[in-house]
Amino acid sequence: MIPTDPQDRDILAAEYVLGTLDARAAAELDAALPGDAALRAAIREWEARLAPLMVLAAPEAPPPDLWDRIERALPGAPRPAPAPKRRGWLDLWRGWAIGASAVAAGLAVVLVTRPAPEPPRLMTVLLTQRDQPAWVVEADPSGRLHLASVTPRRLEEGRAMQLWSLAPGETAPTSLGLIPPEGRLTVNTGGVRPEPGMLIEISLEPPGGSPTGRPTGPIIFIGRLTAAGSS
Amino acid sequence: MRAESPAATLLAEVARGDRRALRALYQQQATRLFGIAHAILRDREAAADAVQDAFLRISQRAAQFDPARGEAGAWLGAVARYAALDLARKRGRELPTDDPALGDTPVAPEALERVAASAEGRRLRDCLSALDEKNRKGILLAFVHGLSHAQVAARLDLPLGTVKAWIRRGLLQLRECLT
Repeated sequence: MIPTDPQDRDILAAEYVLGTLDARAAAELDAALPGDAALRAAIREWEARLAPLMVLAAPEAPPPDLWDRIERALPGAPRPAPAPKRRGWLDLWRGWAIGASAVAAGLAVVLVTRPAPEPPRLMTVLLTQRDQPAWVVEADPSGRLHLASVTPRRLEEGRAMQLWSLAPGETAPTSLGLIPPEGRLTVNTGGVRPEPGMLIEISLEPPGGSPTGRPTGPIIFIGRLTAAGSS
Repeated sequence: MRAESPAATLLAEVARGDRRALRALYQQQATRLFGIAHAILRDREAAADAVQDAFLRISQRAAQFDPARGEAGAWLGAVARYAALDLARKRGRELPTDDPALGDTPVAPEALERVAASAEGRRLRDCLSALDEKNRKGILLAFVHGLSHAQVAARLDLPLGTVKAWIRRGLLQLRECLT
């Protein structure tokens, strides 16, 4: 039942936007929405109030074939006849400057076309808050991590950037050291073996790095290692 | 370059049935939207399904976007969140709350600083900071990771009834504060 009391209705709208309604309650509300303009308006207001929280989800490159899947699922899509592979990759290359997903896919091409059958390489692209690729992180088979900046960036005086890894299951990140001004770094991760799903983060710290062994400043870049060439 | 057109412009073109505009929108937004869905589902396969569903919804409902009522980025993010939440509900939200992929990132104190990137974000950050800590964490975990009341309760080690009441009170407090 959709309540009639204004406060209860507003709470219902808020919980719908927050996501805490269970399947039945959410379906009931979805069904009521077309005939309830006031409830639609309440939902829009809550969406606007909470929208800034969406930046808390770390951007992540989708599987390279996802657009093709979407295109095939669109109504009126041409039946099976899969697009020639080559054009797909070419388009991904064209999109290079646009989306980090394209960047990741493009690099995956370079890596997977190397001759030797090596174990899958792990990599990630760290994005700026505006979703622009900023850093490429790659793990080599010996377990070292290579970090390279995509675009040169200047740092304010008196601040340093520190690299961290957080393996799945761990609660505290491990420092991988400070990033030198030229923006390239190769680190031996020591006891921590790079693995799929590992988070790579860069935080802003005082000169010399975090005094506590955990990030003290804001996390300004974040990404998750995934196997290059796989989804 | 199409993909550099503002998202609102692309959405208007999608509403007119322009498939290329939808593709440009995908190129521009997929990484962000996939991140939003992945934070909720914590499974790349499921997140890809949610983003696919989101783009089908976007292609059908683009005409419902009204630039006078809000930002295109927020509208797209909301579509992706609802698609991911619907999928999480279908899967019974049987995701364990000790899921290793569920870090403390969104509830870490420094995370709120990232919310404060815009003027609206700053107000929201200030209002969230005024909430009781567990209350704030409950709201953030539900929004970012799509946790149900029961999962928030397990994660914060609080009784279910308490969590429900607290989240409601927190939402009302937020509304007051943001008015």
